[in-house]
Amino acid sequence: MIRRYSCWIRSLLMGLGLFCALPIQAIAVGHSNSCYATGLSDRLQCGSVEVAENPAKPDGRKIAIHYVVIPAIKNLAPQEAVLGIAGGPGQSAIENAAGFERMLHKVRQHRDILLIDQRGTGQSNALNCDSEDLTAMLAHNDEAMDIAADVRKCKKQLEQHADISQYGSEQALADFEAVRRHLGYQKLHIYGVSYGTRMAQLYMRHYPQAIATVTLDGVVPMQQSVLAIGGAIARAQTLVISDCEKDPLCGKAFPKLREELDTLSDTLQQYPVMEKIHHPVTGETALLTFTRDKLQGALRLAMYSPSIRALIPFAVHQAYRKNYQPILGLLSLQSGSLDLAMGMHAAVVCGEDWPRLTAAQRQDAEKSVIGKVMLKGIDESCPIWQIPPALKNFSAPIASSIPTLLLSGEKDPATPPAWAEMAAVKLTNAKHLISPYATHNVAAQSCAGDLIAELVEKASVKQIDGKCLNKDVRRSFYLNASTVEAIGEDKQ
Amino acid sequence: MIKVSNISKRIGKVQALNQLSFSADDGMITGLLGPNGAGKTTCLRTIFGLLKPDEGYAEIDGIDVAKHPVAAKQQLGLFPDPFGLYERLTPREYIRYFAALNGMSKQAASTATAEVLSKLRMEDIADRRCKGFSQGQRMKTALAQAIVHQPTNIILDEPTRGLDVMSTRVLRDLLLQLKQQGHCVLFSSHVMQEVAALCDRVIVMANGKVAAIGSPQQLCEQTGQTSLEEAFIQLIGTDEGIAA
Amino acid sequence: MMAKVFTLLRKELVDASRDKRSVLAGLYYAIGTPLLMCGLFIVLINQLSSPEDLPVKMINADKAPDLVRYLGQQGINSGSGEKADKLVLQISSDYPQKMARGESAEVTVIADNSDEKMQDSIRRLQKALQAYSAEMGSLRLIARGIDPRVLQPLKVEMHDQATPDSKGGMILGIALFTMLYSVFISGMNLAIDTSAGERERNSLGLLLSHPVTTGQLVISKLLAVTAFAMLGLILILLISHFAYPLVPWAELGFSISISPQFMLLMLVVGLPVAMLAASLQLFVSFMAKTFKEAQSYLTMVMFIPLALAMSASYNIAPEVLKWLPVSGQQQALMEVIKGKTLPWMELAIASGLTLLIAAILATALARMLRSEKVVFGL
Repeated sequence: MIRRYSCWIRSLLMGLGLFCALPIQAIAVGHSNSCYATGLSDRLQCGSVEVAENPAKPDGRKIAIHYVVIPAIKNLAPQEAVLGIAGGPGQSAIENAAGFERMLHKVRQHRDILLIDQRGTGQSNALNCDSEDLTAMLAHNDEAMDIAADVRKCKKQLEQHADISQYGSEQALADFEAVRRHLGYQKLHIYGVSYGTRMAQLYMRHYPQAIATVTLDGVVPMQQSVLAIGGAIARAQTLVISDCEKDPLCGKAFPKLREELDTLSDTLQQYPVMEKIHHPVTGETALLTFTRDKLQGALRLAMYSPSIRALIPFAVHQAYRKNYQPILGLLSLQSGSLDLAMGMHAAVVCGEDWPRLTAAQRQDAEKSVIGKVMLKGIDESCPIWQIPPALKNFSAPIASSIPTLLLSGEKDPATPPAWAEMAAVKLTNAKHLISPYATHNVAAQSCAGDLIAELVEKASVKQIDGKCLNKDVRRSFYLNASTVEAIGEDKQ
Repeated sequence: MIKVSNISKRIGKVQALNQLSFSADDGMITGLLGPNGAGKTTCLRTIFGLLKPDEGYAEIDGIDVAKHPVAAKQQLGLFPDPFGLYERLTPREYIRYFAALNGMSKQAASTATAEVLSKLRMEDIADRRCKGFSQGQRMKTALAQAIVHQPTNIILDEPTRGLDVMSTRVLRDLLLQLKQQGHCVLFSSHVMQEVAALCDRVIVMANGKVAAIGSPQQLCEQTGQTSLEEAFIQLIGTDEGIAA
Repeated sequence: MMAKVFTLLRKELVDASRDKRSVLAGLYYAIGTPLLMCGLFIVLINQLSSPEDLPVKMINADKAPDLVRYLGQQGINSGSGEKADKLVLQISSDYPQKMARGESAEVTVIADNSDEKMQDSIRRLQKALQAYSAEMGSLRLIARGIDPRVLQPLKVEMHDQATPDSKGGMILGIALFTMLYSVFISGMNLAIDTSAGERERNSLGLLLSHPVTTGQLVISKLLAVTAFAMLGLILILLISHFAYPLVPWAELGFSISISPQFMLLMLVVGLPVAMLAASLQLFVSFMAKTFKEAQSYLTMVMFIPLALAMSASYNIAPEVLKWLPVSGQQQALMEVIKGKTLPWMELAIASGLTLLIAAILATALARMLRSEKVVFGL
């Protein structure tokens, strides 16, 4: 069950975590055009389209862009499909087919769902780097790690089968369009989540004639460098603490949460904790080096999921009291659950986000602990990757009249609601809905799937009202390691 | 011209026809007279090729019915008993259908149908469905069917059964008319007066055999009786099954 | 030659079209069956599927506000009234205490599991409760420093071979069967009327005394009955084409649609079956002396195609049914509607066999009509 609401990242130093809460790896085993994806028992239709890796060199290396079609239950619009675009950057859409199916279940009643492994991810020539296993990750002092060496090693490996400079968003967009034409869909309804919203916006910019509607869930505006995420993380963390303070049970159980977190963070920065622990998976004796960065990383990931987020006050409080078990549990979630293709991730971020960072934005990022760490990592690695920067007009806001639904979660630790407002400045036919209880990836946590179905069905945002998003679905905070309900308040 | 030669036919355990021979000539009305069960209907069915004789043969205008049924039947018209009407068709449709079955073109069938309808004075009922027709109207329709394609030979099976006086007269007039036109008319009956009044020749049948052949006059003379009825009784040797 | 067949056929069709009983028999079936089936399924689906917003009576809801909100997110809401009373969730009064100690807190689902209308809703509530329990279990493990994946030693994957269309296999089989069977029903009354009825009305003897061969007679009657059978098929296909999409199949997770291409295929495939039906019905009816007798014979004989077609709609059908008349066509059509390729070989053999049997029956019938015994019932 944990897979359903969890959301992780492998390398804290580099992963931006602009992905969605979706399950773990799946392999689409294909034969005679039909295949299966993990967690989905339905028979899917799969295939691939061969494209030139470098569009400027059509005779050069070819890569196969793989796709799957989750067939409509009752296809009322065979000329249309819903294109689901995954986040990351670096997530495979096909591996997350079950999650997309769950979110777009209503839409699927009448339309196919098309999922494409973006170039450099999943089955489309994935640019993966070796990663540490959980044991090593727990033991290492990440603050003293040699990022540059890891990046160089990975780059060397990847260069044997890829020209990493060709894995940016715009190259990938041309692949999407090639798949659409290959499959003969006349119009696409696009659903992009997280980094996928950037792909969706680029689609609106370059191929508006192929699009019927767009849903942007957890919006990254074109004007925004994703490296500005530090502020969003800090904001979300503050929200967790204030939510707890406002909640009578949590406030009573953890009255000094804010101070405890600050103290814990400061102490760890000065004196990382070394402890003998039971390995969270194997149960064997292992070593934990607990640093400030690991604390911040674990909390950040926990904030992606409404249910795991509920564990944060308890975990912080326990760590403050030197019981590191809950935080160890949170740390263990980082391994194995999410495979971001880090080469592809770098190709996007170092080309499209790093070069355009202004001095002011850098200053802003330095304000939060996690922003600072992230900036340091990216400043070290991007010069090694040597990705050509995107053109200036890449950052222009999208001007479009395509019906567009923007979804934000109030508690989002990656893409705050303000970002969606920024993306909508030149969208003339758009509606922005904010779920007061959702985190990142609203469609997975609310009734937004129904709203998307309504948008797709009517091709208009006018009649969509987000009332159902206001239904109180907040999750209570854990008060001890077992319960979310009032302890010992026996009213009988 | 209808000719029957030495026909024998067994149906079940009954010898229905036994070495039966006779002929009916054109321009003549021939009556097949016999008590019930004498084999009249069996005889007529054999002529139509509906029954296959065990021995002997029947000829229509010199065509062997068993060997060339279609060609032989082309020269025949049947007035059956019972009539066998299609109740959902109108007389016009019904008559035209049988005309067409006898090889007439669509045009010719329509013309012939119109002619026969007027001949029998049936115009008033021509386009009503047969369901609910009176016995007289049914008789006319069946009769029209038998003569629409102008066959040389017309066979009538118990034609007057169940008819009222008016209908019987119409029938009688028509038969006389046909005779005058040179048709060969053969009808079976067990009603003496009818036979006496119409027939040029009478074939008296009993037990599947010909008991006597001749004009009513000749039969009376042959038996020394004054009425045909008395002659008939003497010929078949019993008064059983004779209707007065 | 053909002119006579045409004359005979024309008369048969005119006669039959004026026969209310013959026309209505086919009409009732062709119009009634799809409408009845669709109506039945609409009612069934509505009754069997759980409503979007499921009201549940929750006892002690205040003991487990987080659980109540979680259920609310799944559309399962605390409610009152008659509907909610059918599904009760009783939260034990010591729920918070048990939870706080890390023990299992008891929740009881009170419902009548034999009430088919409720089964889907009961399953849904149970699934939601299990999901909540699993989620909390995982969180409890995390809080104790254990990766919750250790609780999932087996990762079970299901690869369902079904396509959305094939999921409705059973229902599709029945739907297809009702369509294919229409060729047997639609022409049946006419077949009896034109054979046993004709003899009963004494018109058979008259007809045979005219210059037509029994072969011509049989062919024309065969064509007339076949025409009626095909008319029935066309009608039922048309009605089905419009009626079936009205049923909310999607709620059962599949779809049934009668496309124009499929209708065309069905007509082509159905033609030999219609001819078989016609020849079989004529053959049997001519053996009966009266209309009533023929009806009772046919009711029995019609069980054979019924059984063939029905058994072909089940997957357990023996292999040989693929090659036989009626069942062969039924299976081939089912493959097509399930989105698989048309089994040409099987269909060709089944159709060939169908036509062969029809031809044998027709020949036998023509020969039989030459026999005086049959014509006069001697």
